[in-house]
Amino acid sequence: MSDVMNDPSGSGGSGRSGDAGPSGGSGMSGSGGLSLRARASVTFAAAVLLAVVVVVYILRAPTGSPGIAEPSAAGTISADGPRLRMLDNGMVAAVSLGDPSGPRIVTSQRCDRAYAAAGTVACLRPASALGATRLSVLDDGMRERRSIRLTGFPNRLRVSDSGRMIAWTLFVSGDSYAGGEFSTRAGILDTRTGRLASSVEEFAAVVDGRPYRAADVNVWGITFSHDDNRFYATMATAGHRYLVEGDFAAKTLKTLADGVECPSLSPDGTRVAFKAAVGGDPARGWRLSVLDLASRKVVATAENRSVDDQAIWLDERTVAYGLQRGDGVNDVWAVPADASGSPRLLVPGANSPSIDLPGA
Amino acid sequence: MLRRKAAIATFLAAASVAAGTVVAVLGDATVASAATATFTPVADTYVDNSVTTTNYGTSAQLGVDNSPVKRMFLRFTVSGVSGTVTGAKLRVHTDDVSGAESPSGGTYKAMSNTTWSETGVTWASQPAIDGATLGSVGSVVRNTWYEVDVTSYVQGNGTFSIGVTSSSSDGADFDSRESGSTAPQLVITTGTTSTPTPTPTPTSGDPVLVGAGDIANSGSGDTATAALLDGIPGTVFTAGDDAYDNGSTADFNNYYAPTWGRHKARTRPVAGNHEYNTSGASGYFGYFGSSAGEPGKGYYSYNLGNWHIVALNSNCSSIGGCNAGSAQEQWLRSDLAANTRPCTLAIWHHPRFTSGSNHAPTTSVGPLVQALYDNNAEVVVTGHNHQYERFAPMNPSGQLDNTRGIRHFVVGTGGAGMYNFGTIQPNSEVRNNNTFGVLKFTLHSNSYTWQFVPQSGKTFTDGGTNSCH
Repeated sequence: MSDVMNDPSGSGGSGRSGDAGPSGGSGMSGSGGLSLRARASVTFAAAVLLAVVVVVYILRAPTGSPGIAEPSAAGTISADGPRLRMLDNGMVAAVSLGDPSGPRIVTSQRCDRAYAAAGTVACLRPASALGATRLSVLDDGMRERRSIRLTGFPNRLRVSDSGRMIAWTLFVSGDSYAGGEFSTRAGILDTRTGRLASSVEEFAAVVDGRPYRAADVNVWGITFSHDDNRFYATMATAGHRYLVEGDFAAKTLKTLADGVECPSLSPDGTRVAFKAAVGGDPARGWRLSVLDLASRKVVATAENRSVDDQAIWLDERTVAYGLQRGDGVNDVWAVPADASGSPRLLVPGANSPSIDLPGA
Repeated sequence: MLRRKAAIATFLAAASVAAGTVVAVLGDATVASAATATFTPVADTYVDNSVTTTNYGTSAQLGVDNSPVKRMFLRFTVSGVSGTVTGAKLRVHTDDVSGAESPSGGTYKAMSNTTWSETGVTWASQPAIDGATLGSVGSVVRNTWYEVDVTSYVQGNGTFSIGVTSSSSDGADFDSRESGSTAPQLVITTGTTSTPTPTPTPTSGDPVLVGAGDIANSGSGDTATAALLDGIPGTVFTAGDDAYDNGSTADFNNYYAPTWGRHKARTRPVAGNHEYNTSGASGYFGYFGSSAGEPGKGYYSYNLGNWHIVALNSNCSSIGGCNAGSAQEQWLRSDLAANTRPCTLAIWHHPRFTSGSNHAPTTSVGPLVQALYDNNAEVVVTGHNHQYERFAPMNPSGQLDNTRGIRHFVVGTGGAGMYNFGTIQPNSEVRNNNTFGVLKFTLHSNSYTWQFVPQSGKTFTDGGTNSCH
């Protein structure tokens, strides 16, 4: 169904005067995460997992050898608990959530962003120099079920907890949220019905209670609620970066708060983890923070390094996110979702984390 | 069982990766002097007696402790070393985290077992640390290199295992091979002298070529890098995007002139895409005048000592393409054919090879790389991605080629805001994106040394030497 956008210069946003042809935010690390569902269902899911054996090829991203790796061995994993999916230098990989530094399965799937939930693995294939990107929807065994051509450079990617809804954000001009001019395009695919919203910017927006239209609207960082219809995202316009609540069926967006980027909804649906621009200035970096949707109270987490990622929730109390070292190697870190504690290294040498409960 | 299979397969794959990441920094083979070769581990891990069945082979950290008892295991494969080994030094780097420090950095011993599995070893299955004691490291602080002389053990090519124990209940944490530039190292020195540092001292009198790309804007990065140039004599190069945002006359006057402009009289520039935001890069050609080559072309060459330096224009669409048969490619081939100097270095803006996330590798400059390779060039320097990256010598397809390969550098560290890295590409040896600085080449008669010189207050550096082909 869906050739989506073939309009590289970005009709939806401001052309950037800067470098042409960015190749995509893979360094921006991470994409969001699937919130674990209710605890009770975890037990069930784990039981299901025990019965699921996933056959993958074990490959290796060859940091020292040219070209794409070839399968070096066939192997299997039988997960004995929830799996943490991530990218290992651009290859879809997985570890046991209970033993994230243990054996690692690295598949042959190369992505700039990946996100998995309930056995649906979404992958934004690396962009060409001209900005052609492909969304691949894979099943648990890494078989491609669907592919959509997109335009822009991969940035965020998310799958709803049920595995049904997929949302992505691409840069169509520029390559950073930090400064200068950029333009994003965010889309949503309903894998059950095939319905595609190729640009959420086209949804009817309500800002502070009033209908709103502007040419400079950009949307990024979508996170789904449990009903597979309602979602949250960032909508930027006129210098604001609003948290919006969206409705996929009704095609609407309404603002809830300002200064909230890349939201990630907690498993219980009451809070969003997000990145808060330091001093309101994205050029100064971001502080990973948590907003209580009812009280509108914000707490900054104990992670004081700049996190440019859409965090995931490991449980009701913990968020995880990617951070890049000075030499370009990424790590996934975790920190309590309040001001307590301190960051801990969760998965070395990985980014784009998500929690995959096949069959959930 | 399944789990074990997976671990073994991962290990096999990991071993092949490690082999490719060996960084061999060899001296000039034609000059009788010391040479050093630096090897990173092909495997490293630790075990912990409080979690007796856990393997830490993929961890970025290595721990050595006596409570709980942690032991580190390192394995190196030394190859390609000829001549007498005059020194072998194990270098380990403590983690830059609180708690990495310790009263004891451990006791280092040789091991007879050199086949243990990095992703299989656990406390319960650990190999014996059964060889001679090589040395001990006293108290250690975080984020620091420590060295152990292992010359008595490593005396030539082969595979070597080293086990580390500690009698202190306050353990030390080191960076593992997964951690990149702070991975453990085995530095082998051969030849007649025993200079241990892998960064050679330039011979005085040899020409120096120093510079960077992605330089001058309203920020302060270009001020920091221009201050470095103040202390480094020689010829200055730019690698394009010299003056943001549009390379206009005003941009050059406002941003470039007050900083790097101090060194204009000794500068040989190239143009980046930002220069071409102004039609025909007229601001750029107007500012640099004849130093920039012919306007409308922007490619030219000159000689420094025994070296031929080629400045190219990778804004291919602005000058009629870079493809085989294009005016620039034809000029390059005839320029190289006429060259009589034994060594060649080329500079342009868009990298053919890069791990940066903001700009993909630029394949359109491939024919220029091919022409240089066909003529046995040594070095290519580019910018565009705002970071530092050094590649091993490669053929035009990006495959390791230690015979004729060209060493590629991305040095977009002149002052514009840093970019992230994306997927790390094959043969990428060193990367950094938090340090402005300049890359300094000392051009010896038949070899070169490179040194990344960081801005004041920063510590990242990189250096080495290669002979000419």
